[in-house]
Amino acid sequence: MTTPGAAGAPPGGRWRRLAGPQNRTLWFWAFVGPFALGLIVFTYVPLGWSVYLSFFDAHNTVSPTDFVGFDNYTSMLRNDAFTDSLWTFVVFTAFIVPTTFVLSLSLALMVNRMRRAQAFLRSVFFLPAACSYVVAALIWKMSLFNGVRFGLANTVLGWFGAEQTAWLSTTDPPWYWLVIVTVRLWLQAGFYMILFLAGLQRISPTLYEAAAVDGARPGWQVLRHITLPQLRATSVAVALLLVINAFQAFDEFYNLLSDSRGYPPYARPPLVYLYYTALGQGQNLGLGSAGAVLLALIIAVVTVGQARWFGLGRKED
Amino acid sequence: MYDAWVKVGRALRVTLLIALALLFLIPFYLLLRNGLAAEQDITAPDWTFFPSTLHWSNITELFEDSTVPMARALYNSAVIAVLTTLGTLLLASLAGYGLARIPYRHADRVFYAILATMMVPAAVTFVPSFVLVSSLGWVSTLRGLIVPTLFSAFACFVFRQYFLGFPRELEDAARVDGLGYWRTYWLVVVPNSRPAFAAVGTIVFIGAWNSFLWPLVIGQDRDAWTVQVALASFSTSQVIRLHQLFVAAAVSIVPLLVVFLFFQRWIVAGVERSGID
Amino acid sequence: MTISRRTLLASGAALGLLTACGSNTGRDGGGSGGKGPKLSQWYHQYGEPGTEEAVKRYAAAYDKADVSVQWRPGNYDEQTAAALLTESGPDVFEVNGPTLDQIQGGQVVDLTDLFDGVKDDFNPVALAPKTHDGRIWSIPQVVDMQVLYYRKSLLSDAGRRPPTTLDELVDTAKELTRDKAKGLFLGNDGGAGALGGTPLYAAGLTLVTDDGRVGFDDPAAARALAALRTLYEDKSLLLGAPSDWSDPSAFVQELTAMQWSGLWALPAVRKAFGDDFGVLPFPAAGSGGKPSVPVGAYGAAVSARTRHKKEAKDFVKWLWIDRTDHQRDFALSYGFHIPARLSLAKKADALTEGAAADAVRYSTEHGYAEPLLWTPASRVAYQDALSRIIKSGANPESELKSVVRKVSAELERVKKKSS
Repeated sequence: MTTPGAAGAPPGGRWRRLAGPQNRTLWFWAFVGPFALGLIVFTYVPLGWSVYLSFFDAHNTVSPTDFVGFDNYTSMLRNDAFTDSLWTFVVFTAFIVPTTFVLSLSLALMVNRMRRAQAFLRSVFFLPAACSYVVAALIWKMSLFNGVRFGLANTVLGWFGAEQTAWLSTTDPPWYWLVIVTVRLWLQAGFYMILFLAGLQRISPTLYEAAAVDGARPGWQVLRHITLPQLRATSVAVALLLVINAFQAFDEFYNLLSDSRGYPPYARPPLVYLYYTALGQGQNLGLGSAGAVLLALIIAVVTVGQARWFGLGRKED
Repeated sequence: MYDAWVKVGRALRVTLLIALALLFLIPFYLLLRNGLAAEQDITAPDWTFFPSTLHWSNITELFEDSTVPMARALYNSAVIAVLTTLGTLLLASLAGYGLARIPYRHADRVFYAILATMMVPAAVTFVPSFVLVSSLGWVSTLRGLIVPTLFSAFACFVFRQYFLGFPRELEDAARVDGLGYWRTYWLVVVPNSRPAFAAVGTIVFIGAWNSFLWPLVIGQDRDAWTVQVALASFSTSQVIRLHQLFVAAAVSIVPLLVVFLFFQRWIVAGVERSGID
Repeated sequence: MTISRRTLLASGAALGLLTACGSNTGRDGGGSGGKGPKLSQWYHQYGEPGTEEAVKRYAAAYDKADVSVQWRPGNYDEQTAAALLTESGPDVFEVNGPTLDQIQGGQVVDLTDLFDGVKDDFNPVALAPKTHDGRIWSIPQVVDMQVLYYRKSLLSDAGRRPPTTLDELVDTAKELTRDKAKGLFLGNDGGAGALGGTPLYAAGLTLVTDDGRVGFDDPAAARALAALRTLYEDKSLLLGAPSDWSDPSAFVQELTAMQWSGLWALPAVRKAFGDDFGVLPFPAAGSGGKPSVPVGAYGAAVSARTRHKKEAKDFVKWLWIDRTDHQRDFALSYGFHIPARLSLAKKADALTEGAAADAVRYSTEHGYAEPLLWTPASRVAYQDALSRIIKSGANPESELKSVVRKVSAELERVKKKSS
């Protein structure tokens, strides 16, 4: 509290000022305090620690003594493997965000217009959201897209006389992207479909009736002029969540492509690369933290930019 | 003419939906097929749609395997997921309500400080978090598995947005009756916000059930293993038995599917009225 | 979700649980019980049935400390690395190393004095990477090696002899490739991970020279790695199998005619094919080449953070130096490993006949171990390049040039640290 003149006030007065009008400040912290405290201890302290480590040569230690200034940052930015991983992840995001968005929106629009079996279809598309990346990666890697004769994809292609394809090991063409992208679509499309469905159900039927009176034809015109504008809030939220999730992509990549000896140099997003740098036997915690800080900065800039653009989080909404 | 087009359109839509639904079900089919098959059925050169004899014994074999405590892991995961969900709901909803409804000069700054943590990938703080939790002596304890994961900025964000849209009239009526913030919250706001709690709760529950890296590193004792860790122990051993892996995977998702199907309509209702969008 | 009485009761029970489950890390501050101090010992998860019970039996048989064994599935290196930063880590642990940075960072205890009088009985190739500046940092438990498995009948049907040069291997693999089975399996990544430096040693080179410089700054290296690219281009390699090279499944399921795998896979292969298989070293590459096989050893190390340094050292000495009966049992009764002690390896019947005897012979004649100076950062740089050469057809010379640069920098770093 920086309220001037507090020093001269009687003790009761200072207390009152701290507690705010009608004890509101006090109540605010009673509600928010426990959460904020936990966040400070379990997120901000480790985060600060990571930033601290990033300025040290910290091999296999969290209490380093060898200060190196910005060396870790410069060597990370000059490291092809790290910059490649940033590109990997830009390409991945640029693809997965629109694709998931369109797929889940289409599913929602189609399911919403089903009169019968709506609940059943909704469940079918939503159920995968309950599966973990570990389980999904297992199914994809060991059964659906394995590279040998008893993989389902190769079996089906075999019926048409195609050769066996090693989906995860082929870099030309990069079939591994097919595997990675389909896993994520399967796991996530249903969840975002639910968000869109909820948005759709909130649109007042009178809007559609008015449109019909005005002679708008059901289908594309109604979709463009009524449904999509009404879904704007949902769309913004979905887009934001998709981008944050894409940034955090780790699980499916790691579970699909890593092996006991490491990770291939392709389809390696930044978090996977940092995982191998900072954890594991490498244990270069200084360098890993520097990369992590750089990544967090990039994420922050993009998300804040996006949120500003959409005007999200304002109380007026 | 126009009606004909509508009919064709509807037929197309239904066909497309059914095709997509079948595609979405394929992984579940594979899980069942491989989980109930004998090893040689899975690796046979020719595809069998479903194993000729179903090996239900795969399931009993899974629970009798002395090297992987599957039953114990299921129990641990259930306890952890339930406690994490309850704790997160309590903390995040209180914070969300405070941020949305209690006037305070710095409320927005606090909100942005909370929101900012959503952008920090958990892997960034992984090692310091582990060292911190370990120095508290929480390794291999329920506390260590649960408490650090309770502070979900995402859940707090959703609750804040939801409470911003909560009808003020209800609260004002409570205020007239002389209730303070605390009692208004518990007696008026919470009972009228069930869908939001169900929606956030389900998402948190899934996350807790499926998390892997933290339980792996914190749950050092075998008695503290979760389902995901047990599952990993099948897939990282030098010799992989596919039917065992798949039956374990199938067993690991059954509890979630049940929770999911049960809460599904709540989730839709909750999302509809909450601030996720 | 109102706060009903039931939820209140449930959270009450939950609180009880939280407080009941106190700190339980498997180690304690002082001596307790009749067996002396508590020690916690970590192993990575072995696939062979019976191994876990065996190590627990050994631990129980030790009467000077109360040793509790922890069996760790998945990401073992990551788990130990993180745990070693804290007080809740193991006292004694198995490690595929320790790494140079772990030694220089003071995370492990010097075990040199435990080797008094028995040092010469340890397999020298396995012991070398555990030694830094003349001090020994872990006790080799068993020696593992990798070999090339091949089906005798498939080779003779195709009129082929077991390949003795890398070029022959390329031809043979191509010859044996069929519609639903491939000629050779080097791992799902095409060999970059499993082979590592093996092709370089087969070309007569090394990873790091004895005087601490890059050992493969030589045109022969590029030629050897280019041969691996040919294998990939010929489509002779099995890729995308459900299990990786360390598991003999692909070979046993007849998805491939030849497979690179560990000696540990031998019992499973013998069970499937009887005598219809043989083992080979990685064949010589180019004119200056010689066959090579990678040899490595998990070692038992003592964490520097242990509160019972003396007791922990006593325990590892007891288990991995004194009790040769346990060492024998561990190496030969469950999986299939070569005892780290030369005297035990000589007496092991299982290793004196058939393919196993060949493998043991290769390990002494052609064995190499990754040097301690070959740090994880160097390994990643090299493995990335190897993967790009094999799969994307990157130019071996230019790729190797950039690896040499990175490895030199890394060698500089560790040298600076030790001085």
